[in-house]
Amino acid sequence: MKLLKRIKKMEKFDLISNTIVLTFAIISLLPLYWLVTNSFKTSSEIYQMPPSILPAKLYWGNFKELFNGQPAVRWMFNSFFVSFTTTALSVILSASAAYAFAKLHFKGKKIFFMLLIASIMIPKETFIVPLFKIIVAFNWIDTYQAMIVPNLATGFGTFMLYSFFKAIPDSLRESAKLDGASEWMIFSKLMLPIAKPGIGALFILNFVTVWNDYLWQLLMARSKEMNTLTTGVASLQQAINPNIGLKVAGAALAALPMIIVFILFQKYFTKGMTAGAVKE
Amino acid sequence: MQKKNETQSNGLNTTNSIIAMDTQKTKKKKKFRGIENPYSGYLFAGPQIILFLVFIAYPVFEGFRMSLFEFSYSSEVFVGLENYKTLFADPVFIKSIFNTLIFVAAIVFFTIMFSLFVATAVYDKTSKYVSFIRGSYYLPVMVSMVVMSIIWNFLLNPANGLINYLMGNAGLENINLLGSTTWVMPVIIFVTFVGNVGQSIILYVASMIGIPEDYFEAAELDGATRWQRIRHILIPLVKPTTLYLVIINIIAVLKIFVVIQLLTGGGPNNASVTMMYYLYQNAFIYNNTGVAAAIGVMMFMIALLLAIPQFKTFGNKD
Repeated sequence: MKLLKRIKKMEKFDLISNTIVLTFAIISLLPLYWLVTNSFKTSSEIYQMPPSILPAKLYWGNFKELFNGQPAVRWMFNSFFVSFTTTALSVILSASAAYAFAKLHFKGKKIFFMLLIASIMIPKETFIVPLFKIIVAFNWIDTYQAMIVPNLATGFGTFMLYSFFKAIPDSLRESAKLDGASEWMIFSKLMLPIAKPGIGALFILNFVTVWNDYLWQLLMARSKEMNTLTTGVASLQQAINPNIGLKVAGAALAALPMIIVFILFQKYFTKGMTAGAVKE
Repeated sequence: MQKKNETQSNGLNTTNSIIAMDTQKTKKKKKFRGIENPYSGYLFAGPQIILFLVFIAYPVFEGFRMSLFEFSYSSEVFVGLENYKTLFADPVFIKSIFNTLIFVAAIVFFTIMFSLFVATAVYDKTSKYVSFIRGSYYLPVMVSMVVMSIIWNFLLNPANGLINYLMGNAGLENINLLGSTTWVMPVIIFVTFVGNVGQSIILYVASMIGIPEDYFEAAELDGATRWQRIRHILIPLVKPTTLYLVIINIIAVLKIFVVIQLLTGGGPNNASVTMMYYLYQNAFIYNNTGVAAAIGVMMFMIALLLAIPQFKTFGNKD
């Protein structure tokens, strides 16, 4: 009832725009709906036209085949392990660097900060050839560190947390210092808790970025076991294998963790992205 | 040594320091620096700086160097600008520049227009509705371009895909959209747009919700229509967001790879090859390492140029 009243009060222009927006919002969910429902269909039901809106009955065979015939568990583990480790290390490194850049004094601080910030806008894909060469020289191909360490070199986290630390008054730090607190204690007990909201948002954003870093993982993984969920599932897709059910289930499995993360942490996305972007 | 002693004594004489800081405000900063260990800055920022030097700064320079060499399995030969000359004489590379430009222009245009439209329509509605809209458009971004490309690959399959079935029902000719030189670009643009627009919507909605009420009150009193409010108040006020989005979207489209690899492989007949995809092919399929490095250098320069206005706003943020 309240909704009807509100709709009646809307200007015509407003009403039409929102109808369009809502329609497209629902349409943009359809591919994902197709994916999830089809992963529970048999291959022949997937091919059937017109398609059934819901599977005739829940068919688990595709997922069984995915988990029995393919190292899908290992892929999931790899994705989680690489994303989580990269993110955790990156947050720690970014936070401590952001603290140093915001509050401490050292030679070369300005120039390093500027270079680090400048690197945010440059995609690593543009220097992926020499980067690949470095990994080969380190003999890191097909290892976890190859997927993790290069992704720790990012200025984004430092930039995002810098403004949190900058906003903390110097006097707070000074008085702690005078009470005999060490630099590490000030950082971990005083500064980090204040930057907590920023760290939470950074963590989620970073996790998703690494999870979806397809090209790098594709280049680093050689053996089937070192693939991540995204590269593994994409390789299934490209394999000459007529089993469409298996391919659909693979894609659905790759989509699921991110859908869950998004539902659980929606507000962090907004926060994280705006903190990393512009101040109006 | 002497300096170290000084720091220690300063640290111990806390009472003195407090008095000193209270009375001599001008000297405050200097005094404080005295009790700071001059190395702690390096300890805290050092790891990040080292990572930056090894995995960003060095590869950037190495990329420039590599672009001037020709590589074989065992040796490298200095060839000057030969790799660049080869590239500009290569019709596929020219095609890839052309395609990249079309992608960037089309996707950025549609993304900005559509996300502005969505954000201006929903920003003043109830938070539940806003969350739903935001979520629906952002989920495709979230599940990643990999999953979205796989889905579209199924849907666009000319033999048994849903899209061709629907086209057939609508009485349209059955064409292989991804196999047609005319249709492949619009289709890739559409697929990328759908998998990308959610981020811009989130940012626009956030910045519009952040605009204080009083901007609209005066307009309301003047009896301005909703369209006028959007046109003259909202859109001008979110201009910094627009600038930011234009730049990050250009850079995101510049490195577009997944869609091309999973949907077309650059085909048919190189109709959808992009600079990034051509770089990948040269580096990891054809083993033209020097040529690939040269493409990378050019893309790096483009990204750098585009990023300059953004650095300026970063600088103003302090």
